[in-house]
Amino acid sequence: MNEMSKSQITDAKKRYAAGVLKYAQMGYWDGDYQPKDTDILALFRITPQEGVDPIEAAAAVAGESSTATWTVVWTDRLTACDQYRAKAYKVEPVPGTPGQYFCYVAYDLILFEEGSIANVTASIIGNVFSFKPLKAARLEDMRFPVAYLKTFAGPPTGIVVERERLDKFGRPLLGATTKPKLGLSGKNYGRVVYEGLKGGLDFMKDDENINSQPFMHWRDRFLYCMEAVNKATAVTGEVKGHYLNVTAGTMEEMYRRAEFAKELGSVIIMVDLIIGWTATQSISNWARQNDMILHMHRAGHGTYTRQKNHGISFRVIAKWLRMAGVDHLHCGTAVGKLEGDPMTVQGYYNVCREMHNPVDLPRGIFFEQDWANLKRVLPVASGGIHAGQMHQLIDLFGDDVVLQFGGGTIGHPMGIQAGATANRVALEVMVQARNEGVDIANEGLEVLRKAAKWCKPLEAALDTWGNITFNYTPTDTSDFVPTASVS
Amino acid sequence: MRITQGCFSFLPDLTDEQIRDQIEYILSREWAVGIEWTFEPHPRNTYWEMWGHPMFDLKDAKGVMMELADCRKAHGDAYIRINAFDSSRGWETVMMSFIVNRPAQEPSFRTWRQEVDGRAMRYTHEMVGGMPG
Amino acid sequence: MDDAVPLTVDLRAEYESSGVREILDELDRELIGLAPVKERVRETAALLLVDRARRQLGLAHETPTLHMSFTGNPGTGKTTVALKMAGLLHRLGYVRKGHLVSVTRDDLVGQYIGHTAPKTKEVLKKAMGGVLFIDEAYYLYKPDNERDYGQEAIEILLQVMENNRDDLVVIMAGYADRMDRFFSANPGFRSRIAHHIEFPDYSDEELGRISGAMLGAQGYGFDEAGRVAMEEYIRLRRLQPHFANARSIRNALDRARLRQANRLFSAAAVVDAKTLSTLTEADIRASRVFSGGLDIDGSRRKDVP
Repeated sequence: MNEMSKSQITDAKKRYAAGVLKYAQMGYWDGDYQPKDTDILALFRITPQEGVDPIEAAAAVAGESSTATWTVVWTDRLTACDQYRAKAYKVEPVPGTPGQYFCYVAYDLILFEEGSIANVTASIIGNVFSFKPLKAARLEDMRFPVAYLKTFAGPPTGIVVERERLDKFGRPLLGATTKPKLGLSGKNYGRVVYEGLKGGLDFMKDDENINSQPFMHWRDRFLYCMEAVNKATAVTGEVKGHYLNVTAGTMEEMYRRAEFAKELGSVIIMVDLIIGWTATQSISNWARQNDMILHMHRAGHGTYTRQKNHGISFRVIAKWLRMAGVDHLHCGTAVGKLEGDPMTVQGYYNVCREMHNPVDLPRGIFFEQDWANLKRVLPVASGGIHAGQMHQLIDLFGDDVVLQFGGGTIGHPMGIQAGATANRVALEVMVQARNEGVDIANEGLEVLRKAAKWCKPLEAALDTWGNITFNYTPTDTSDFVPTASVS
Repeated sequence: MRITQGCFSFLPDLTDEQIRDQIEYILSREWAVGIEWTFEPHPRNTYWEMWGHPMFDLKDAKGVMMELADCRKAHGDAYIRINAFDSSRGWETVMMSFIVNRPAQEPSFRTWRQEVDGRAMRYTHEMVGGMPG
Repeated sequence: MDDAVPLTVDLRAEYESSGVREILDELDRELIGLAPVKERVRETAALLLVDRARRQLGLAHETPTLHMSFTGNPGTGKTTVALKMAGLLHRLGYVRKGHLVSVTRDDLVGQYIGHTAPKTKEVLKKAMGGVLFIDEAYYLYKPDNERDYGQEAIEILLQVMENNRDDLVVIMAGYADRMDRFFSANPGFRSRIAHHIEFPDYSDEELGRISGAMLGAQGYGFDEAGRVAMEEYIRLRRLQPHFANARSIRNALDRARLRQANRLFSAAAVVDAKTLSTLTEADIRASRVFSGGLDIDGSRRKDVP
């Protein structure tokens, strides 16, 4: 592509003559553009088709995600179209990955409806991902201006208030997902919940696909689970909870289930990511009005977050969810059975928990982000983790996280209560050691073994799972540093 | 029954040396330290009695340990907990809380159930035992 | 772990590795004059180093009494030396944290019944692990008023000085004569204070050097006539009431800079860097001290009997 075809045609007669122009010529590329503080910024990783100039491809992404179509339209001239056009302002090759480019696009704030993630997504990912000149495209990161964030209420509860309400401070929260995921009757299901909570967990949890199947009506589940929660509270003197999954086929049905959870005195409800952005914002509003913690299970995200060349990075999903307003969000474990490079996963945690994200390329944070006092989201680490990894988990994620040991609780050889106790003891002893100045990353296993001498359930847990690790090469890593991996 | 509120209730009761280490950690984070006590450890009893104001600007755990000793002398058969408070913007809350004294005989909780419409249930927890006098 | 008692201790190596040497060097470097004080601090350091070695060899077990009194006139460097002393005690492991909490009667004694004990305790809690510096300690004791709350503070202090020797060191400071009277009226303090350091007044020559150093630290200097005027100022100022050694010098220099600024501004000329940072005779000699007047230098806070 020659220089001419990269620059915007300023002569109005030529620019708006009927026909097809390059996107760059139409004004969707401006290498000199300085993003405004009020612009929404997006970073795409694009793989142009053979022979497509990366700058033209970037301009096409900017065009298709804002005002453009494939041909020139004279009706542009009825608008202040220069300002409505998104501008690709930087394109750089992805280090070490031939054929891929990072392209930065700036959008004027007027292009987006206030308080609507649905509208953001319709613009940013609505069209460009199936665009023919690109082999693949991935939305890597976004920056939202404070002005736009202020149109969202964010998490209904936040980490601070959740901890105050639960009276639990200074340590990660502990949870477990009831297993088997499907098939238990309400009464049997509640038994698992009671055993886990009595043994020492703070929360039990419905899994993503427990809704209201033939073997267990939702209402039945809610009643038995709340019996278990209350009984466990009485025998421990602690506040306990169970994430009641209110995901359902319609919004009306979700509200009905949420209302019933509230009537029964539950402190928390949950939904799955697959309910969509609009439903998420609606249930978030309900949760805020009813002082309810809202747990988000990121069911389905792997279909579009996992492959590095195409889809959306989870860090963007995490940003959208903080704006849409959830209190808990599954963000990966780095050490468990599910996808996640430790640094990349820490990046998601930072998106959830910090009030200000500095640029942090090794953790995949490309933009500085001021969260404008939007509350913190409590990240959840769940999937294939066990007590023997406690030192790694606390070292990686700190105190503000929910650690969920499903199999690691219910699969304990001495029973569910013992499994829960093993996890709680491992957690408390590790927090204690860290506070005392022990280097838990390196000496954590020793701390656990010492506690196992007086805690049988922990000893049994270490004997059963002590050697289980999930060492696979992560697929989604930052392309700025050599991949770090957990030993 | 052993009430398991706080950071370290699943561990053997902390020794004074272990308590001091945790307080040193709290002070190293520049958090204030408060001592609170109660005879009523109901999970919804938010406000335990304050043993003086939270202590700000201490450099060494000894100051807290002196107050703890006095509090134990005055309320040896109560629950006593240490709270750490972070005043930095966006937190402004308790960052740590752990029990450092328990009565010899701990109370228990009784669950009252009231069946209401459609099999729904109202639950109330009542403390049994534990109150002195 | 090997708990065996060592057979020898290398005092020179301990002196270097503990960081004591560093602190003594700092003291030498940063404080002009004060030779007898520096000598006493060095002796104290040697004593503590030896005591530590004795304990390492199992020859001694008790924590020695470390409470001190610093006596001398205002502006003779007591607070500065207390700070260094806190560092010294920390390096040698006699206090855990090594911070200095500096208080006067008002911080310890309350206004009404039941107010004093919590106030004193509050201060003590903050001083734990470090050094509590009580300036003009004798104000705690008011023999003419039997119901003075200072007595309550004194009793708490004595108790803590006795029972918490591992936790804090108390330094009481003030005028020598009044401290003497205070100690004879309160023998409890006398017996608990092991180290007395006297701070002599600075000589005229030392104050002259101090004035140069103070100005230098602010990026100023005297011209030759200015320096001579300052020396004369020092001689005259010492004869006046409320003379407070280095503190009086600092105050005099603050006013001289004010006059210099006013002089330059009134002249309304173009000035260079040298002019902007030079104090001249005129800036010093305008002081009322030269015309027999009293220089109000703010050093009299609590000096009035």
